Amino acid sequence: MTTPSPHPNTNSPLLRLEGVSRSYGVRHAVDEVSLDLHAGARHAIIGPNGAGKSTLLHLIAGTLRPTAGRIRYAGHDIRRWPPHRRARAGIARTWQHPALTRPLTAAQNVLLAVPGQRLAALRTDPRAVAAAYQALTQVGLTDHADLPAARLAYGDQRRLEIAVALAGRPRLLLLDEPSAGLTTGEITGLTQLIRALPADISVLLVDHNLDMVAAVADTVTVLHHGRHITTGTPTDIRDHPDVRRVYLGATPTSPPAPTNAASACPHPTGAPVLRVRDLRAGYTGAAVLTDITLDVRAGRVTAVVGRNGAGKTTLINTIAGLHPAGPGSDIHLHGRSVAGLDTRARARAGLGLVPQGRRLFAGLTVDEHLALPTPHPTRARTVTPRQVLDLFPALAERRHHRPDQLSGGEQQMLALARALVAAPDVLLLDEPSEGLAPAVISHLAAIITSLANRGTAVLLAEQNLPLALHVAHDIAVLDRARIARHVATADLRDCPDQLHDLLTIPATATA
Amino acid sequence: MTTTLTPSPGAATTPTPNSRRRSIPVWLPAVAGAVALAGAVGLPWLVNGYVISLAATGLVMAVLAMSAQVLVGLAGLPPLGQAAYLAVGAYTAATIATVTSLGPIQLLAATAGGAVAAAVTGLLAVRARGTTFLMVTFGLGELVHAAANAWAPGGSEGVHTPPVIALPGLPAMVRPGWVYLYVLACTLLIGVAVALLVRSRFALLLRGIAAHEPRVQATGHHPGRLLLAAYVLAGGIAGAAGALSIAVTRYVSPADAAMGISALALAAALIGSGSMTGACAGAILLVAARDWAGGLLAGHGTTLLGLCFLLLAYLPRHRLADLTCRFPWRRP
Repeated sequence: MTTPSPHPNTNSPLLRLEGVSRSYGVRHAVDEVSLDLHAGARHAIIGPNGAGKSTLLHLIAGTLRPTAGRIRYAGHDIRRWPPHRRARAGIARTWQHPALTRPLTAAQNVLLAVPGQRLAALRTDPRAVAAAYQALTQVGLTDHADLPAARLAYGDQRRLEIAVALAGRPRLLLLDEPSAGLTTGEITGLTQLIRALPADISVLLVDHNLDMVAAVADTVTVLHHGRHITTGTPTDIRDHPDVRRVYLGATPTSPPAPTNAASACPHPTGAPVLRVRDLRAGYTGAAVLTDITLDVRAGRVTAVVGRNGAGKTTLINTIAGLHPAGPGSDIHLHGRSVAGLDTRARARAGLGLVPQGRRLFAGLTVDEHLALPTPHPTRARTVTPRQVLDLFPALAERRHHRPDQLSGGEQQMLALARALVAAPDVLLLDEPSEGLAPAVISHLAAIITSLANRGTAVLLAEQNLPLALHVAHDIAVLDRARIARHVATADLRDCPDQLHDLLTIPATATA
Repeated sequence: MTTTLTPSPGAATTPTPNSRRRSIPVWLPAVAGAVALAGAVGLPWLVNGYVISLAATGLVMAVLAMSAQVLVGLAGLPPLGQAAYLAVGAYTAATIATVTSLGPIQLLAATAGGAVAAAVTGLLAVRARGTTFLMVTFGLGELVHAAANAWAPGGSEGVHTPPVIALPGLPAMVRPGWVYLYVLACTLLIGVAVALLVRSRFALLLRGIAAHEPRVQATGHHPGRLLLAAYVLAGGIAGAAGALSIAVTRYVSPADAAMGISALALAAALIGSGSMTGACAGAILLVAARDWAGGLLAGHGTTLLGLCFLLLAYLPRHRLADLTCRFPWRRP
């Protein structure tokens, strides 16, 4: 399992990426990234969604092959090595979502990864058992060793993943979003766990939780659209202007200055169309949202902003009925409770969803997409696909194209059009600007504003702060599972730094 | 009769694998196994010849169901072509039967034949996962079926074989009771081998592959090779079932490779939801529904079998619920 370096020179890095790229057609998921990782390093990779962070981990672990560039590990060019060979050479990894054998016990899961056991062995090698228990001790799970992995709490499953990775006695540990879905207390525990790892293990982690990254990593690399932006200490990174720019989408002043279209709203603030009261939601025990209270009024745009993993998508999905709401949650549409209804009934009642990542139907043309949803006969408003296409001239020219033949911007417009054909009263938009060029974003902003002006209530979950500031009438900041602030946009436009500080690393968290 | 396969002695003392289901008293499986074994051995003295030959057929299907269970229960790959390897084993045994009527030799040759056939075809099969695997194995099974029709000795008429001799020096077994006892002994032997397989580290890795293949890869194993090994083992077990099949019927024809037999084996494995004992019980249940209860219902055996399949699809199978990630919506 060991591949001793031919040059036992302590200065040569354990892992060296030289201009590594991975493209899917014309899209570059990872674009010419170079990186050195020395033995014992604690290195983090951060960046907005779609920056190529997970892809980079896949390239190092071998589950993906780079389309260009070289990967050197311990003196070998491992570019063509299959994943299991890299694993034997000491590269261990975890996944974004717990990748465990759920019916097996925690100890058995770890035993799978302990090297040097015979396949035909009927009795587990006592040394392997000892190694497995040592790994479980390292993450503090010895008490649950005999529980099936499926019965462990979510946070324990994440720790078990790390134990499985450690059991392979790695030299390089790749952690993909280890803090995702964990509570603050669990994240603290995880931070201590990673810090306490022996110095001969190098750690490369990808995470959205900047507090944790600052606490764990000695060096941080920022990726954006697959490109290397900068590498430095967490403090350098936090103050780096480029990082602030890319992590929050664009410079606060770069898009066209906020027009007053938003404030010149023909619909005076009436009764809210959508009322959310005490909404809670979570994933297998980990609370993601608690006590969310929110009103969305007709003709107004409410933006929900927050860091990655703050729960924006969960909020949108819970309102749409795609994710179960916790007990006590209340969602009212037109004064009628829809909390007990399924997704279909909520859509019929007037909720329209534009999901994150667009979720288009791969084999269907633009026309077919727009022919599928129809307003339910009980709805007062009716919309024809033709009327919707009038809003999107670019789409009208491509009515016989399939999603893969459309640009990212056109795909987003199609997702929006598909939702509009059902004539929703409330439109839920989940990260519509994700992966879009600035020009397309301003077009999108114009469309959202015009929809609101026609009386649609819009709830916009957005990471792109300038867009949110541009189109929204009021902004709710989601932080640590709660709405930390809810303010009118007009109050914020003057001092956008306020929001930036809420969204980047809080001053208290730098250890 | 195959309760010997239930995992667990020794689990209470050492923190080794298979320490699940503590709620069942330790003595219960042992007692139930002893009662079932005594019943199985005493069967020839209790019922008529027809039921005994049905019971022997049930045992053959139980072996085939174990073969299917190695793939679907451990590795999470549903096979729909295991009857092909049964037929290969049966034809191998029939060919050997022209030289010697000695049962154990036929059994070994059939096992080897099934394993070799599985090794050749498995190279194709283990590249697929989930529903695609189902389709590929179905296609392979149909090819073997067609090949048996075209080229196998006897063509579509099939081949008759002489009665099997259990051990050197014994007379040929003609009475169904003795054939049944021979098949029972062989089934128990295969059951013990399978029980050992299930407890090996190899099986643990297969279950890991079923749950999350990239994870097993990331622990330094080659999933493709492990799955191929599992496929070859399953083919060998199916081949052994073929040798037992000609011991019971003294006849092999291309119909033995029919898709209905494969489907029955897969269904029995699914009824067993991951456990070998369950797969055997399922196979015996399905054969009883098809041939015995069907006979009582004036030849509606196939109808009853169809109803059994439907019932199986809607029965709450708690153990299978644990394995939802395995089958059949698993993504590589």
